Amino acid sequence: MSDAPASDVPAAETPDQAGGRSVLDKRVDRRGALGMLLGGVVMGTQALGACAPLSAETDEAREIKLLAWREYIKGNYRFMTEGERADTIARLERLAQLQRGVDVTIQSTGAQPGVQFGYAFNISKCKGYRRCVEACINENNLDREAATQYIRIFEMEDGVLDLDEADATFQHEVPAEGHFYLGTQCFQCADPPCVKVCPVGATWQEPDGITVIDYDWCIGCRYCMAACPYWARRFNWSQPEVPREEVNPNQHYLGNRARKKGVVEKCTFCIHRSRQGRLPACAEACPTGARVFGNLLDPDSEIRWVLAHKRIFRLKEDLKTEPRFWYFTD
Amino acid sequence: MHLKPFLLTALDSATSGGRRYHLWMGSLTLIILVGAYAYYVQLRYGLGVTGMSDQVSWGLYISNFTFLVGMAAAAMMLVLPAYILHDVDFASAVLMAEGVAVAALVMALGFVVVDIGNPFAGWHLIPGIGYLNWPRSLLSWDVLVLNGYLVLNLAIPFYILYNHYAGRSPAKNKYLPWMYISAMWAVSIHLVTAFLLAGLPSRPFWNSALLGPRFLASAFTAGPAFVILLLHFVRRTTQYAIADGAFSKLALVVVAAAQINLVMLLSELFYEFYSPTHHGINARYLFFGLGEHRALVPWIWTGIGLNVCSTIVLMIHPLRHNPRWLMPACATLFMGIWIEKGIGLVIPGFIPSPLGEIVEYSPTWVELCVTAGIWALGLFVLTVLVRVALPIELGQARSPYLEPALVPPTVRPRAARPRYEEIRPVRRR
Amino acid sequence: MSWIRVDAAAVCVAAAWLASGCREPEMTKGEEPPKTAVAVPIDSATAARNASLEPGVLATVQAVPVERWKGPGDRPFEVARRSAAPEAGHSRQFGTITLPIALRTRTAAISQYPCTSCHLGRKVVMANKRIGDAHNNIQPVHPDQTGAVCSTCHSADDVALLTLKSGERATLDESYRLCAQCHFPEAKAWAGGAHGKRLDGWQGRRVVMACADCHDPHKPGVEVRIPFRAPQLERTRSKVP
Repeated sequence: MSDAPASDVPAAETPDQAGGRSVLDKRVDRRGALGMLLGGVVMGTQALGACAPLSAETDEAREIKLLAWREYIKGNYRFMTEGERADTIARLERLAQLQRGVDVTIQSTGAQPGVQFGYAFNISKCKGYRRCVEACINENNLDREAATQYIRIFEMEDGVLDLDEADATFQHEVPAEGHFYLGTQCFQCADPPCVKVCPVGATWQEPDGITVIDYDWCIGCRYCMAACPYWARRFNWSQPEVPREEVNPNQHYLGNRARKKGVVEKCTFCIHRSRQGRLPACAEACPTGARVFGNLLDPDSEIRWVLAHKRIFRLKEDLKTEPRFWYFTD
Repeated sequence: MHLKPFLLTALDSATSGGRRYHLWMGSLTLIILVGAYAYYVQLRYGLGVTGMSDQVSWGLYISNFTFLVGMAAAAMMLVLPAYILHDVDFASAVLMAEGVAVAALVMALGFVVVDIGNPFAGWHLIPGIGYLNWPRSLLSWDVLVLNGYLVLNLAIPFYILYNHYAGRSPAKNKYLPWMYISAMWAVSIHLVTAFLLAGLPSRPFWNSALLGPRFLASAFTAGPAFVILLLHFVRRTTQYAIADGAFSKLALVVVAAAQINLVMLLSELFYEFYSPTHHGINARYLFFGLGEHRALVPWIWTGIGLNVCSTIVLMIHPLRHNPRWLMPACATLFMGIWIEKGIGLVIPGFIPSPLGEIVEYSPTWVELCVTAGIWALGLFVLTVLVRVALPIELGQARSPYLEPALVPPTVRPRAARPRYEEIRPVRRR
Repeated sequence: MSWIRVDAAAVCVAAAWLASGCREPEMTKGEEPPKTAVAVPIDSATAARNASLEPGVLATVQAVPVERWKGPGDRPFEVARRSAAPEAGHSRQFGTITLPIALRTRTAAISQYPCTSCHLGRKVVMANKRIGDAHNNIQPVHPDQTGAVCSTCHSADDVALLTLKSGERATLDESYRLCAQCHFPEAKAWAGGAHGKRLDGWQGRRVVMACADCHDPHKPGVEVRIPFRAPQLERTRSKVP
């Protein structure tokens, strides 16, 4: 221990000499000072903690805390057993009830065997109405505050199929003369670069081809967003807000259930609908029939007919991501 | 036996000092606290308080992370010659360099943590209780190598200092193998960070084979430049003797790496602009702007200007050996590399987006305060490490369990050696 | 030895079971569709599934099997009745909002139906040009473009039916038979699934919309609309107090 530097400090006084001086004049060394500070902090927090029971904590609040804790310590959905999945879904449904007052049904429907989803988009038929965007926002409980949109509709000049020259922010009467329209969303690539780069394995591809995210396992590093060549993923920069009366209660754990801030989300081909044999909201809402959806493994499906009979192309084909989303013309 | 006095001595060294020292540490602490408050705001309201967007999803934090991993790697530049080639000149500087490595690593890890959207879920990264997607995800590699490198750079100097403190010389066969591993590991941490970016075909600005070598070249420019500045400061303010050879050799490393960095930059410019393709649109945005979107153009040209000027200065032999030129050149080179590799690399990768949309980026007060806080934390850590190491290396701090006669001072007192200014007087105008 | 007998029996049973699976699946040919429009009853299982998904998705859609055209894989498919009740399946719920899913809204459809309510089954005299009469809501853009007159498509003997070039007559639910006479590439794409819309999901029975559900046969051009709101490129910044 180093000696205290020589200074004009008077020698330590005995308690007798202290006499009428106040306790604040007492000299301590560095170690003693640190010890006293720590002791004060500890005692202070104890005192604060002791005050807590005075605030009324309702049974509901206690239940929410317990449910939130159980949700926090759970594992990756991909590796959960059926029982664990049922448990987490029950907890999430109860939390939705307690915290938001909405009654939701969260499915855990698995992929149907013998199904691989494919999607085709007719760029001759799309007129830029963005009815698909509207349906998607409502079906998937997208953040109204941030105006998140999974689908982007690009307006391009006739003869120039170049995304760099396209405009997605058009707000005029459509279809505009001399232009055509092309829509993008997550293409559920067969070799997804986003799945490869996730450090915690929070995103993976299901057997029916849909790339899904476990929102509770995602740490929000956004590496997948950097890796996606089609700008398909969105991040919750703030707590997503959906008005209670607009919440779609028909949800899927891997799809449109309530997300939280700090996690990534994206189009899942409306997994809560497509796994029940229904069309995704965008395909159903399109008034011109520009969107074709179906099972690629069924040789008699419409999507297979389109792929066999129409001149098709995909975006950024050279990147070999093998998207399951084709474009065609009349 | 010596551990408890070692730790107490360390605490003492770190907390005692003159007025300037306390002012320095006090202001650093203040900046750290401001950064902590800004981080609290970010935790509370989400990353939306930053300037990032779905299009530019990585910003100031990852820019700094990329730069600092390079700095951490380059500190090992000194280790190789000192320990393995027994270059005496470097021996005195090595522990400082390791301190720089630790501080840079702490900062880099800090930037990753503040960039994550859901940091309380960070335990998901721990293999065993979470799930680490290794080896497919380059970020999982980064997690492993950065933490491993941190452990190495804490353990080895600790071992050496502790042995010096305890009055014995550290056993070469115990730490030398780890030194070899650490030297190779240093190259790998920066290559992994480079591959993290270069392995994404969705980002043509980064997706080149040259990115890894560029990273190493710029790291070996900025890292030793910072170490030179630190050593100069230590030499001027303490009794610790640093050989002139350390400065001249480090400066040589800096200028060689700076020249290689410029050549690589030239290569990139040629590749992007000789036959412009769609893939070069990010480079066009960075260097010349796209339409009215020109936010990064002044930054990158300033950065390149600083790099070029500093490199030219350092290439001139007499200037490189003159601290009056060497130090400012190193400082400007450091800043130039920070601009070119930090914001001049990460952010233009996102503009325009893969679908051609242009959304520009500018950091908010939250990002700036958190960044300042983490830099202050790094400098704080560095100061503490240097303050702990120096008394031990100077022979002033020894275990109380030792007999004084057993321990000769390991370093000649400074008074016996001529100061640089006495043998090479500086011209005063 | 008894175990040989048991083994032999087991092998025979296994062989028989395997052989039964090797048979080519019989192509179940659908029965010849009836000549007149008949509502196909929805089986209870489908109705139950439809009801569980969302009330009224397909439960109210009346569909007619399609004649002469087969879907992909030569599978027969059905077309939604044109003449059924107006609210049949042309809007859907997405979340909590309801959106129309056809180009034409249902109420702009056949506004004066059934035809016999005015024409009382009597033969109609059709002029070559539409004159001011009860059908003045119809703007004959397509007929004028193609040089058609009313009697080209509408039957004078039975105004509820359409005439085809072959001399046959088709109901209003079978407009595809009429349009396909000229627009055969679109009709082929429609049957294959690249043109038009499917009313139910991607799985199960295929019910599609008829031509006139989207295209006004007298004025088929695509209408101009104001689109749903554009995306914001700049993110809304979080509000920090």
